[in-house]
Amino acid sequence: MSEADRDPGATDGRAVIAALLCLIACGTAPFLGPSVTGDPAAFVFWQLRVPRLLVAMMVGATLSLVGACFQIIFANPLASESTVGTISGAALGALLALLTGVTIGPSGLPVVVLGAFAGALAVTFALTALAAHGRTRTNDVLLAGIALSLGASAISSMLQSLAASNASIAAAQWSLGQLVQVGYRGVLLLLPFTALVLGTLLLRARAFETLVAGEEQAHSQGVDVRSLRVVALGAGALGVGACVAWCGPIPFVGLIVPHVVRRLVPARPRSFLPLSTIGGAAFLAVCDTAARVLFPGREVPVGAITALIGAPTLIWLVVRRHAP
Amino acid sequence: MTCALELDDVSVEVAGRTLLSHVRFRTEPGELVALLGRNGAGKSTLLKVALGLVRTCAGEVRIGGRPVGKLSGRERAARIAWLPQHVLVHEALTAVELVAAARFRFDETRASAIAAARRALSRAGAVELAARVVTSLSGGERQRAALAVLLAQEAPLLLMDEPASHLDPAQQIATYRLIGELWRGGQGIVCVTHDPNLLHHALAGDEPDRVRVVGLEAGSILFEHRFGDPALAGSLSQMFGVRIAKLRCEGTQFFAPLAEEPGAAREHDRR
Repeated sequence: MSEADRDPGATDGRAVIAALLCLIACGTAPFLGPSVTGDPAAFVFWQLRVPRLLVAMMVGATLSLVGACFQIIFANPLASESTVGTISGAALGALLALLTGVTIGPSGLPVVVLGAFAGALAVTFALTALAAHGRTRTNDVLLAGIALSLGASAISSMLQSLAASNASIAAAQWSLGQLVQVGYRGVLLLLPFTALVLGTLLLRARAFETLVAGEEQAHSQGVDVRSLRVVALGAGALGVGACVAWCGPIPFVGLIVPHVVRRLVPARPRSFLPLSTIGGAAFLAVCDTAARVLFPGREVPVGAITALIGAPTLIWLVVRRHAP
Repeated sequence: MTCALELDDVSVEVAGRTLLSHVRFRTEPGELVALLGRNGAGKSTLLKVALGLVRTCAGEVRIGGRPVGKLSGRERAARIAWLPQHVLVHEALTAVELVAAARFRFDETRASAIAAARRALSRAGAVELAARVVTSLSGGERQRAALAVLLAQEAPLLLMDEPASHLDPAQQIATYRLIGELWRGGQGIVCVTHDPNLLHHALAGDEPDRVRVVGLEAGSILFEHRFGDPALAGSLSQMFGVRIAKLRCEGTQFFAPLAEEPGAAREHDRR
């Protein structure tokens, strides 16, 4: 063991560097893309790219922090809002709201958020009930989450194919996950949800820290584990619900980012949660920029980009877990 | 602050199985109590009931005179701390961070939590583990880190579930010496163990009658003796179903388990 390992300042330095890199990535994102000159330049920059970046950062931060908290709560590194079904539940709830004719706008968004929140909450608590029932092994939680996820997705597809065609096309576009913004409406609509969820979860970092040694140990150290679970799962469902309602289901953010953070910075929940938040913001900003600039003149849904990165990451994690 | 634990006629049933039945158990402030019994006798359950982790179906648990369910989490953690039998850590964090996390009940800065964690690690003889990642520790190292976690909570009553179970003899002795130091420092201790001989290492010399030994069988209290009581060997042999001989070595009385007694063997089979 070298002297550097003992110095807590060294790990803090790495955390600061990682956070700075994230901020730089976010800061350069709006400057990337086909160059525009003349009058439309200012419009493209300030009315399209900047609000889009801000939404990407808020959604990425929320999804990533929720994923990190789920990993601690379920005591499972593979848990995240996309693997335990929260995203699919939110998507189903939002889709139900959309197909009843509600549009995503200042008046409609709260209804869609409510639908998504209800869906996310239903799946999350169904899963928690399964997890709390008897001595369910942690892998069973994931299997149950995958089952719930597939079930919710199947109902979603059925609803989409049965619905009237124009509502269905809008819903199909939304269900790919995208961050296209014009102006700052989305930023203002998402901000209260994001602030509430991030604040609620980050303020409990100390309680999450005790959970890494197990729920019983956390209880004996004075944490009200049940209320922590309820608050964290509720806040997670609200955050995922709001993000899914506005941008559609964007998968795997909450799985990938916390693992990258763990690799780069030795895990310590008090910096792990904030770093996952910042890292999530940067990750989705970068993915969305890639979605804009990869194919000039065309746009790829950002959900496809995160899934392209997320699927191999999940496989790698599973393989590594089973390695001796 | 001192604090006593009281189980008043407590019964626990989980999924139709009786784990504790009409247990009356109390400790005085600053008392050292050893809790012995066969595997599955309810020793760990008794500790968990005291922590409010397992719900009673009858009777009441009081800490410092107040029902455990009426205490807030932080109030309870200020009175009673627990060393579990197994500690599973899910995240790869360092020992000093794990120990600092145990100070949840204190309203303090990160720096003072880390400083207190280092003190606890050095008290537990584990200061060299501070920067090591907990998931990479050996069984013995992990147990010392767990002891530091227990100490960092600074509770007046410590519940220890087989604190020396995965340790080599030298570390077992060191652990029980530490238990003795904590006890003489005024902390109350309830210690689950299978090996009453280890208690000698907690006792510095000639005070065996200050330690109480409680035997638990099938969820009920079978006996209570002072550690120096000559009848203890008989009670132990009855409980464990083996013959227990008393050996005197270097001025200390040890218990040596010998072959099973025929009567006890039948008793064992009937279970």
